[in-house]
Amino acid sequence: MEKKVLSEIGLYYGDVTMPKGFEIDRNKLQSDILKSQINNTKFPSSRECNKLNTYLRDHINLEYKFQLVNKETWGNFYKPKEISVPLLNIDPVDLRNAPDYTLLYGVNVKDCSVRIHYNDNRRAGRSWDIPLKNNQFIMFPSMQMYYITNNQKDSLNFILTITNESF
Amino acid sequence: MAHFAKIGLNGKILGVHAVNNSDILNADGVEDETVGQQYLERLHHWPSQMWIQTSYNTQGGKHKSGDDSKAFRGNYAGIGYTWDEDNNIFYPKKPYASWVLNTTTASWHSPIGDAPDDLTDEEKAATTYYVWNEDAKSWDKTTL
Repeated sequence: MEKKVLSEIGLYYGDVTMPKGFEIDRNKLQSDILKSQINNTKFPSSRECNKLNTYLRDHINLEYKFQLVNKETWGNFYKPKEISVPLLNIDPVDLRNAPDYTLLYGVNVKDCSVRIHYNDNRRAGRSWDIPLKNNQFIMFPSMQMYYITNNQKDSLNFILTITNESF
Repeated sequence: MAHFAKIGLNGKILGVHAVNNSDILNADGVEDETVGQQYLERLHHWPSQMWIQTSYNTQGGKHKSGDDSKAFRGNYAGIGYTWDEDNNIFYPKKPYASWVLNTTTASWHSPIGDAPDDLTDEEKAATTYYVWNEDAKSWDKTTL
């Protein structure tokens, strides 16, 4: 008897462990998120963003043997006690141009969680909660809808979202 | 063209990058690994000591030219290989739990040595070859 997995919903997460002295400057990313949100402009590319993307690309390729290619990057901040609207980074009628993976990176977060919705065969409408901490990432298929929750009442949560194609 | 392996924090190779020979010349015009490391640090924001030069022409401790004195660091590094700083070699992933690393050839060997070289012409014609049986710790013949 044999088994073949035709599809899977992989959830990848962990710390971005950069070498000492080469850590990602999250203050710079936070400032870029603020500027792009206030001025309603595209999230700027920067050395810090490049370091993050390179780290993720290298380590995903090493551990899981697939290549990530960036599609879009943007940042958001979530107010205290805010629960985001349902988020879905694909257009269901334009799947050809949809990303494969959505990656969330904790730029400056406190008590933040991500709820990812998925179907497990006929058990539809399930969800998985995972906390997002500073300098951590969570990556999942862009077909999954998700919510971001800021559970505390003191500060903003800054999160970078990067969509990727995979090969 | 010179090649440098990008080393991860656990000693695993994350990638191999090619650098123009002119970018690794020191003030005397001599190729210098340190110059290449510093060049790559500036370019990729990854520490210079985590870039290690590797030779495209070295495999299993031997140089493709036949002159093994030119062999450099055991193997041409590849993604998933390990950098062994103590032995100054790159080596691939361990193929079986029982195999042991020969640090001279930078390659893995079974605990009972390499597969016997005793296939008959008929067996070779029938595409018979040896495969390692990890459970029995032996070389077993198999045919395609």
